[in-house]
Amino acid sequence: MALIARRRSRLAALLSVLILTAASVAIAPASAVKPADIFNTHEVAPGVYVHFGRHLALNVPGHDDIANIGYVIGSRCVAVVDTGGSMKIGRLLRASIKRHTQVPICYVINTHGHVDHVLGNAAFLPDKPQFVGHAGLKNSIIRSRDFFLSQYAGDLETPISRDQIVVPDRLVEDILELDLGERQLRLQAWPPAHTDSDLTVLDLKTGSFWTGDLLFRERLPAVDGSIPGWLAVLDRFAPAKVRLTIPGHGAITTDIDSALEAERHYLLALQAGVRAELAAGRSMQHAIENVAIAEKSKWLLWPDTHPHNVTHVYQQLEWE
Amino acid sequence: MVSRLLILLLTCTATSVALAQSSSPSAGAWEFLQKQFYGARDIGVTDEAFMSIEAPATTPDPAATPVTLRFGAAAIGRIKQVRVIIDNNPSPLVSTFDFGTDARVAELGLRVRVDRFTSVRAIAETIDGTLEMRSGWVNASGGCSAAPLAAAGGQLGDMRFRPSADSKSMLLSIRHPNNSGFQIDPVSGDAIPPHYVKHIRFVVAGHTLVEADTGISLSENPTLLIASDRTLPTPVTVEVTDSKEAHFSRNWVRDVRNAP
Repeated sequence: MALIARRRSRLAALLSVLILTAASVAIAPASAVKPADIFNTHEVAPGVYVHFGRHLALNVPGHDDIANIGYVIGSRCVAVVDTGGSMKIGRLLRASIKRHTQVPICYVINTHGHVDHVLGNAAFLPDKPQFVGHAGLKNSIIRSRDFFLSQYAGDLETPISRDQIVVPDRLVEDILELDLGERQLRLQAWPPAHTDSDLTVLDLKTGSFWTGDLLFRERLPAVDGSIPGWLAVLDRFAPAKVRLTIPGHGAITTDIDSALEAERHYLLALQAGVRAELAAGRSMQHAIENVAIAEKSKWLLWPDTHPHNVTHVYQQLEWE
Repeated sequence: MVSRLLILLLTCTATSVALAQSSSPSAGAWEFLQKQFYGARDIGVTDEAFMSIEAPATTPDPAATPVTLRFGAAAIGRIKQVRVIIDNNPSPLVSTFDFGTDARVAELGLRVRVDRFTSVRAIAETIDGTLEMRSGWVNASGGCSAAPLAAAGGQLGDMRFRPSADSKSMLLSIRHPNNSGFQIDPVSGDAIPPHYVKHIRFVVAGHTLVEADTGISLSENPTLLIASDRTLPTPVTVEVTDSKEAHFSRNWVRDVRNAP
């Protein structure tokens, strides 16, 4: 009991710090965000470490450090959950692991194939881990590979080479349990939602739930898969055992339902708005300028993401 | 799909703005194109009251960039042809729109591939033979070689027809890969041969409203929005021909508003 109470109070303290940080980020202009000089990781639950990404666009310095990434330590194995948007971030994450444990890194899990979550994979090649992802992740990364090599060359090692873009060698069709030694991770693959290869990771020991980008907080969700699919996933998303939720972007929370509700609110507004534009025979440009505008004040990086979302969803719902 | 998102996140900083008149239309490419399409004829730079061209300065999706042409009162009913040209695309001529006699076109909307930072321009030829141009810039790259949508599919030549509530405009969507010939299947590594819509004809109440010669600079699943300043009569017939000489057509016989 005492142990649980201590853990709870530590968690509560950490949460309050993170929530305050998130709140100050939310009201500060992007230029006022302090650069992270030190690569911080936080032990959000026993043996569960998170490095929090910053809410930056993908075209500014620091764009390689925008996603929440981290690792879970068992008695025999460490599992990494996402590796950041550059070799540098991947290496910093690996160094952080080596500071905390001598246990070998057996698994590198990617929650999906976006650049900010996978480009650090190659930093873990010396550990010879299994790279684990959704059954669709391998093709998803291969489809993006040339784009990563050309657009994110500065985030890779010179000389640039294709083998720096590491694809998974262990694919998850539905559910996979990984035994890290005295702790089990339950990986679940989802139908197209945020992307076409989303995977969640639940640490059964602490109830820590890595959502990947199926959950965004503060930063506007980006739709790159299927919006009806994503909404359907959210309806059957949260396992009962979840105690602490680690979103792909934004602060951790013990109240997953509220976090999901905020995201669902935007996605529903986006979906309904685009459907209404289509029903009225309006152009994509009109939709970009008019859909879901009431949501704008609730999210960061709206101009960087919302026009893309409308563009993507419009082209999809056009054929309903 | 993923790469398109990332291109957006890289480049997208603004929603649509009316394209500013570029002070000096981009030099080399346009000089060549002007000679090719118009020889030595004079082209005036007109004002927005006659014609405007609108596109996002930075596009959410280089392979599906919305471009809208609007025609003012002085232009409606007086234009016989409009060309849309993207200077720096491998195939710069996006479309040649020939307007039917007495066609009162107030707006044309299409979605285009943008290969790299470029001028986008519209040149209108009036019924008395003068040429007027509007142009602007779009900052994007990779639209011509972007991989096909991962979620693409459907039946080739399928169409969706969406009239506006006031029956003055209609939005047409055509299910077609519109492969540019510059795309590579990223998984197999194989080149994807060109396969594109080359002609679209709109007929309303038996009269041609607009005919469009199109090409590889139109986006996958091409769309065309046509608006008039008057209610569009029915029936509406759309005839589409692609580069493999496949023909697709649809007919909407009821009033525009209640078309299926």
